[in-house]
Amino acid sequence: MIPIQKVVILGANGTMGAGSGEVFAAGGCDVVFLARTMEKAHEGLVAAQNMAKSVRIADRISLGTYDQDLEEAVSKADLIFEALAEDIELKKAFFTKVDKYRRPESIVATVSSGLSIAEMALGRSESFRRNFLGIHLFNPPNVIVGTEVVPHEGTDPKLVQEMVQLLERRFGRVAIVAADKPAFAGNRIGFKVLNEVAILAEEHGVAFMDYLIGPYTGRAMAPLATVDLVGWDVHKAIVDNVYAHTKDEAHEAFRLPPYMEDLIGRGHLGNKTPQFGGFYRRVKEGNQTLQLVLDPKTGAYKDLREAGVRKLPWVEKIRDLHHVGRYREALKHFLSAEGAEADLARKVVFGYISYALNRVGEKEVVREVRDIDRIMGFGFNWAPPSVLIDMFGPEETVRQLDRYKLPVPPLLRTIAPGQKLFHEPYVNIGRFFAA
Amino acid sequence: MAAPVYILGGYQTDFARNWKKENKHIVAMIREAVEGGLEATGIDPKEIQVGHVGNFAAELYAMQGHLGAFLVDVDPAFSGLPTARHEAACASGSIAILAASAEIEAGRYDLALVVGVEQMKTVDPAKGGEFLGTAAWYEREAKGIEFPFPKLFGRLGDEYDRRYGLKDEHLAHISAINYSNAKRNPLAQTRNWYMTEDQARSVDKFNTVIGGRIKISDCSQVTDGAVSLFLASEKAAAAHARKRGIALESIPQLLGWGHRTAPIEFTAKIAESQNNPYILPHTRQAILDAFRRAGIPDVWAVQAIETHDCFTTSEYMAIDHFGITQPGESWKAIEDGTIEMGGKLPINPSGGLIGCGHPVGATGVRQVLDAYKQVTGQCGEYQVENAKRVATLNIGGSGTTSVSFVVGFA
Repeated sequence: MIPIQKVVILGANGTMGAGSGEVFAAGGCDVVFLARTMEKAHEGLVAAQNMAKSVRIADRISLGTYDQDLEEAVSKADLIFEALAEDIELKKAFFTKVDKYRRPESIVATVSSGLSIAEMALGRSESFRRNFLGIHLFNPPNVIVGTEVVPHEGTDPKLVQEMVQLLERRFGRVAIVAADKPAFAGNRIGFKVLNEVAILAEEHGVAFMDYLIGPYTGRAMAPLATVDLVGWDVHKAIVDNVYAHTKDEAHEAFRLPPYMEDLIGRGHLGNKTPQFGGFYRRVKEGNQTLQLVLDPKTGAYKDLREAGVRKLPWVEKIRDLHHVGRYREALKHFLSAEGAEADLARKVVFGYISYALNRVGEKEVVREVRDIDRIMGFGFNWAPPSVLIDMFGPEETVRQLDRYKLPVPPLLRTIAPGQKLFHEPYVNIGRFFAA
Repeated sequence: MAAPVYILGGYQTDFARNWKKENKHIVAMIREAVEGGLEATGIDPKEIQVGHVGNFAAELYAMQGHLGAFLVDVDPAFSGLPTARHEAACASGSIAILAASAEIEAGRYDLALVVGVEQMKTVDPAKGGEFLGTAAWYEREAKGIEFPFPKLFGRLGDEYDRRYGLKDEHLAHISAINYSNAKRNPLAQTRNWYMTEDQARSVDKFNTVIGGRIKISDCSQVTDGAVSLFLASEKAAAAHARKRGIALESIPQLLGWGHRTAPIEFTAKIAESQNNPYILPHTRQAILDAFRRAGIPDVWAVQAIETHDCFTTSEYMAIDHFGITQPGESWKAIEDGTIEMGGKLPINPSGGLIGCGHPVGATGVRQVLDAYKQVTGQCGEYQVENAKRVATLNIGGSGTTSVSFVVGFA
């Protein structure tokens, strides 16, 4: 394994900086938290201690500022880990400095969740380029173990493989290799679904869409509640980037709905702006906390209880089956449910399977279906596509894809009857189906 | 000689899961454990003749009793299956195994399904602590006391200290070993948690004192978990072996068992053992009984131990009670690395109750399943090299009900 002992975090005061620093310190590294000021660096340390639930993790962490400590820290580091704001010019300015001070064999990584790795490497020295790659951790990194390793064309292929092993064995990650394409693998597939649901919410309502594509369809959290948690600004950055720089079969699913664009302009960024909210907003009325929900048509919020979600008997039946652990039976009901809503739900779920599997291939985002399964399962806490295919059956999956005019991934036609796609002996598939 | 009892395998759920967050009923846990076990072993549900469920307090945690009956819900082939639920606090799982194995020895049945299950994350820690207090003499030892069990096991440490001397740094080392082992176990609850020996020694806002000398780092976890195990007579094991094209001799057995109960009150236990070199002599006797029945002379005939570390003090007790050291000298096996992975006799390669987790009624079954996995070389990253015989110790209450098994090949 690559000997990594000294790690420097750039942007250690941010959520991803502090969280990544915690992961490296917990793996036994000596980590330098760098920020603009000592106060900021200390904020990062406190955040890392809270994540680790440990005061003593500070024993492995030292603090510094860019002005005072960057040169020395970078010159001693085995790994320089960049977790600055998602601003390519800012990152490039720092990489110029890193290039100047780093040892030629040290590794440089960015935690960026979507910016081009190749562009960040442009103009850097040969040894920097060879040792530079993306290590995309998901938020919060101490809890969500899915990780994408993203090389650019000039990254040493040996480093890529060794980094995957290192992240898995030493840092407890579930790591995959993803191509340097917009949003990489997890966010490309995940935000396709999230944005599609946001688009549908305009016609069908926020609470109803979260109900229809809720946890029972194989996810820990309902889609629009997830967007509120992630932040609408982050959501916009991801879908805009994919929309601008890719052209695939689901292109229009990445177009940010105009009502979101409008509300972002007015400061509605989800949970991080509690005074405005996002799809949901909590308000205090006396002793009570009222849950409000957005009406995308008007931009107004109304009481979630009054907005009232129409319960569907077949969804309730599926949830009840999940509740008692009858997941296969539940998914059979999902296939046989009748009505326009059932068609809508199936279109989204089979759209996810289709889109995900079509991202596998030599010129695509990942090389193996297993990569998709691992990143959706452990980066998003969503049922991996292979789990769904195994439960629906490959033939039935193809039938449903044809029915909803979704592109059938070639792989689906090659599965022998009875052959399973998902082979992770320690993963309980039941965990993906919340009731 | 009693008839042999073979172990055909089983299944453990991921102990990191929170089933309340998934909005699941306890039957979902039982179902996943059983279905996973059937798949792992290739056993046809029609072949199963009896079912035993170990569970401590589903009535309190999940407002549900009569758990044996839920086995019938798992598969249509189980309709009519004779079932029962067994309770002996944290030893419930082992008691379920004892019941199943006794029936096989008696020739009543050839293939038994055992499930250990506990759903604990349904209530806040204080409430859960109170529920656990019913494993002691509630009125006398737990009523009105916050977190009674850490305090009781703190007193076990105090008793060691009084009789032999005890350093908290040795307890911290036990904690660090269990957390470290758990990192290699893909089903362990704490596999991604942070814990080091320094952290375990520290008293601070995260590692607070829960009671007496017991800190957070000395405690096992609040865990949701279910585990299945299939036990077979020689006849059923031979049929199983034929079907799979393997030798009967390659299937491990429950080679020996020990089962003893001490006075339930901790004070009474300690009073009783005043003139005994062992602080919990009945626990010691359960271990010796298991060794005797397994036909092994002492602890050095096993290559690993899965023991009951509900607190670091209980593992400290297990070390001398197993006979790894002289009474009161457990610290020696901690200091010289004997009990670590790669040591002379690793304890809790799985991470134990501290690292892997402690779903109370499932723990005894999990220990025997881990022993089975060790002797059949299925433990992956936490495999103990050349493990051919493994011992378990499962304890209910404050050292009250003790059950020990030896798993291996005849």
